[in-house]
Amino acid sequence: MKKQAMLIAAGILAAAIAATNASAAESLRLVNGKIEVDAALKEVAAKYEEETGVHVEIESMGGGVNIQDELKKQYQGTGMPDIFVCGSDADFGNWDGLLADMSDCAWAADTDAGYVGTDGLVGFPYTTEAIGLAYNADILEKAGIDPASITGPESMRAAFETLDAQKDDLGLTAVIGWCCEAQNLYWSTGSHSFANYLDAGLDRDDTTYSDLLADGGQIDHDRFLAYAEMVGLFNEFSDPALLTSGTYDQQILGFASGKYAFVTQGSWIGATMTSDDAEQYAEAGNFKCGMIPYAFQEGIDTILTNSPSWWAVFQNDNTDAAKAFLDWLATDAGQEILVMKGGFISPFKSCSFVAEDPFAATISEYTAAGKTSAWHWLKNKSGLDQNATGQIYLDYALGSIPDAETFTEVMTQVIADYYAS
Amino acid sequence: MNANSASRKMLSLIFLIGGAAMLVIALIQDFARTGATYRGALLILGIVAILLGLYLFPTLKYHRRIIYIIFLFPLLFTFAVTVIIPLCLGIYYSFTDWTGIQFTQFVGFDNYTAMFQDPQFIWSILMTFVFVVVNMILVNVIAFLLALLCTNGIKGGGFFRAAYFLPNLIGGIVLGYIWQFVFNNVLINLTQTSLLVQTKTAMLAIIVVYIWQYAGYIMLIYITGLTQIPGDVLEAAQIDGANASQTLFKVKIPMIASTFTICTFLTLTSAFKQFDVNLALTGGTGSVPSFMGKYLTSGTQMLALNIYNTAVSKNNYALGQAKAVLFFIILACVSLIQVRISNRKEVEL
Repeated sequence: MKKQAMLIAAGILAAAIAATNASAAESLRLVNGKIEVDAALKEVAAKYEEETGVHVEIESMGGGVNIQDELKKQYQGTGMPDIFVCGSDADFGNWDGLLADMSDCAWAADTDAGYVGTDGLVGFPYTTEAIGLAYNADILEKAGIDPASITGPESMRAAFETLDAQKDDLGLTAVIGWCCEAQNLYWSTGSHSFANYLDAGLDRDDTTYSDLLADGGQIDHDRFLAYAEMVGLFNEFSDPALLTSGTYDQQILGFASGKYAFVTQGSWIGATMTSDDAEQYAEAGNFKCGMIPYAFQEGIDTILTNSPSWWAVFQNDNTDAAKAFLDWLATDAGQEILVMKGGFISPFKSCSFVAEDPFAATISEYTAAGKTSAWHWLKNKSGLDQNATGQIYLDYALGSIPDAETFTEVMTQVIADYYAS
Repeated sequence: MNANSASRKMLSLIFLIGGAAMLVIALIQDFARTGATYRGALLILGIVAILLGLYLFPTLKYHRRIIYIIFLFPLLFTFAVTVIIPLCLGIYYSFTDWTGIQFTQFVGFDNYTAMFQDPQFIWSILMTFVFVVVNMILVNVIAFLLALLCTNGIKGGGFFRAAYFLPNLIGGIVLGYIWQFVFNNVLINLTQTSLLVQTKTAMLAIIVVYIWQYAGYIMLIYITGLTQIPGDVLEAAQIDGANASQTLFKVKIPMIASTFTICTFLTLTSAFKQFDVNLALTGGTGSVPSFMGKYLTSGTQMLALNIYNTAVSKNNYALGQAKAVLFFIILACVSLIQVRISNRKEVEL
């Protein structure tokens, strides 16, 4: 009896000692929010491991996962990743005081696109995306429309009407692929399209309308009304099968296969057009793509470009290793894979690679001409699109909101209520 | 057995003190967030050592009681970790400004007052009650009729039984997406615009899908009840000249009153907690042009989904917690009342 008890005691002691000696190997973990570039990231991580011996584990999340919520669970439970994605002011706000300042990193001098928060430079930009009215250049050419001639509401309506009249000859289902479905595509209307009210035509550092919004959810009536008229135009000329209950895939496929002359999605659809929809895109002649500004007022001449989200480094024992990895990513060795394989548009000045993406050329042109605005919608209150604005776009498309004036009134009321709650 | 020997006493004390020390160290490591990887193992070892110490504790009087505790411990521990501690933490967080990561201050009852000033939340409560009442009636009626059909001795009864039950084996999320496809791509040919885009028709759609999912399950319980009615009772009724409806209302239904209790209870609580079909089918979308003077944009959002969206999408975890506490209270009350009423009825029989 005594011997047995002694043996058990010794066993417990040994187990306790063994447990205390367990330690982690040299390894980093990155949570990525763009599932479509998972393969490219894994490739870049493998190359980094080959060069430095540091293993980087890529964990990609997407497809409707709320990444911030997932990260909070990891924080409470299994432990935080060393590098993770943050997409907005609210996201960064979650982690106040917990993120590493990267202003001493080499990449910081090579770009203006980093995210500066209360803790310093806390966001590493990894790509650039653009929001503009994407068009099929071949179809516009056949219809005799010069995209550069669309500079305001009248010329836009005229172009839409011209296209609508020749729909059958051009093989179009509808002039524009615009989808207001509210359950899964609320972000497209409620954030990305709404972004144009906030920023289109303004200087990159002009925050007039986002400041107004942040101050109790106010809307500038005249500017919004002009924007609402454009939304009404889209509702009128969109594909009825897509407008109120379509899907993202349906929208992109329609554009890629040449059935819509315009589509209201940003530059990220290029990756889908050349991979998942490559077959239909080829059948439609691998047409050239471009973007025009959402010119809801005469003189709006910018598209909105920004780093769509950033990678933040969590403060822990691995912080220096994580910073070293990001520094390496910003050099040619890392950029080559990210740009050529992942289709990223590099935010770094020293990078000379250009992706074979249908929209890469357009973005470069607008950037070179200085005709870009920023994405101040990233400052919107959390969940504004999902819980408030997205549904109102749908109501407008359904006709239960009859006109632009009512749309503006309802939007003003709902946003004010949302900011008040 | 030398239960009172000095060495055993010594050993017991060593285990007890050592175990307690390990437990305390592990808990300190945990609360101080040192990130030490051994803290979990240390906690378990500490607990095991304490249990050993208790087992070896030199007493005859309480030995049996100690053994009971040791045997109950695994269950109590699991119950505490998965139910009691989260419940207490949840109530605690509802009085703070918790963000899901940390909190900076206690806000008292602010979260509780805020939620009753939110028309969307009141609307969600109303919708949930409507949904529960409609479903409790419809699911039970339909399930009972299906059960009667399947126990009637019709040809292929086994097949129908399996077929009606099958939807219950598919998860709610998958079901939601399947039906979303049906409403948006197939039925749209009859309805012009999808049923899911208007609040009223979308609620109807959720109810239909929920019944489709749940009636088969409740049907199985009714079938079990119906087949357990003794044959001699039915035979006696037949000899007395009772017709089919008399047999049903005077014999069968009273005989399976307890089954009705179980089924209403099950449908009530599960309809209250409805989340997955709601999330996958409509995501809570749908507008209500005027409710308490506001234009609501989440017309089909029921209580559970409202709580989830408050925390996750609106990034307001503390308010979500407060709503969850209210949800718990409502559900507990409803369940208690239901069981009370049903029990009384059974006794009367």
